[in-house]
Amino acid sequence: MFGPLLKGANGVSLRTPTLDDRKLVNRWMLEPETSRFWGGRMMDARDEAFAERHTKDADDPNSVNWSIAYEDQTVGFTGLFDIDWIARDCESGLFIGRSDLYGRGIASETVRLRTEFAWREMNLHRVHNWISLRNRGSRRANEKAGYRQMGLMSHYGFRSGQWYDDWLGEVFPPDRSAGIFVPPSKGG
Amino acid sequence: MFGGTVRGKTAMLRVPSDADLEAHKRWAADMRIRRAGPIGRWHEPAATATWKERWTEQAKDKTSVLWSIAAGDALVGYARVRFEGAPLAEVLLLDQFVIDPAHARMGYGFDAALALHRWAFDFMHLRMSVTDRIAADDIGRQRILEKLGHVRFGHGHAVYYRDGAYVDQYLYQLDRDGWGERWPDEREYSPLGDETAR
Repeated sequence: MFGPLLKGANGVSLRTPTLDDRKLVNRWMLEPETSRFWGGRMMDARDEAFAERHTKDADDPNSVNWSIAYEDQTVGFTGLFDIDWIARDCESGLFIGRSDLYGRGIASETVRLRTEFAWREMNLHRVHNWISLRNRGSRRANEKAGYRQMGLMSHYGFRSGQWYDDWLGEVFPPDRSAGIFVPPSKGG
Repeated sequence: MFGGTVRGKTAMLRVPSDADLEAHKRWAADMRIRRAGPIGRWHEPAATATWKERWTEQAKDKTSVLWSIAAGDALVGYARVRFEGAPLAEVLLLDQFVIDPAHARMGYGFDAALALHRWAFDFMHLRMSVTDRIAADDIGRQRILEKLGHVRFGHGHAVYYRDGAYVDQYLYQLDRDGWGERWPDEREYSPLGDETAR
């Protein structure tokens, strides 16, 4: 699915993605400035592949996808993915392709809008994500919206001679408890 | 893809055969197995024709491997893994691991899991084995993973819903070094001698 227009603060909005947005954003993923914490800088970058992926996202009943706009220009994408409609849980993701705009609060406002939509319009129970521990900007944007650490995976990825760990976060609606706690096993 | 033979002491991973489909249909509809959450649910119950399509898709899918688990002539379960990190595909994700309740508590689960990890680390030289699909009250699978040397690296709260309530999720990982320290003698083949000395 594609998400509806959500207008936020500071010139940030989430809007229904177009095929042109996808072409733009995916090509940003192939640049060194954006891919330290993202992918392998390789993909099927043909226009027909972008069109196919765009249609697939539109038809997917278990995800909601948006383009991120800043001052009316597309600058990235975000979404809620792999929605489990029984547990009412899903994974979230975010990519900003305009590295010259980092540090302006675009990610923070994006996560806020997306998370509020998950609670108020989709009645979800939980949203979780995986972020490189060293990607401080993305992690802080999620923490500001209420995400809290629920795990730390060592040696998730490797870049330029260093192993990177991954930060696992989860967030719940403000008025709900985190459910039933089951104590750890003593096995092993 | 379908996986080939990996022998354990009492259990064996073997190539799935068409005759195993009936068991998969039964397992998918068994609430005792489904209760485990996504690690116990490869697919929802469906018609035979749909299962045959799933079978063909699995055989062709190069990002995942399905094995049947056998003990002697008996089919006792199945395991399914995915590869993460294409094109290197150096991380193994344990997606499904099921022992039929009729064959539970006989040690087949641990033996099959040990054989699977030997294949992953000693044969395939993968970097890491990971699973994010363990329910917090699934003591059996937790014991198997912890005995293998897996380390718990995450605890998701209220992740799976069943029996009218949410249950927490545990996440586990084991890297190749950890495997080597814990199981230095688990080898698929004996080392070969120096060829030049012959």
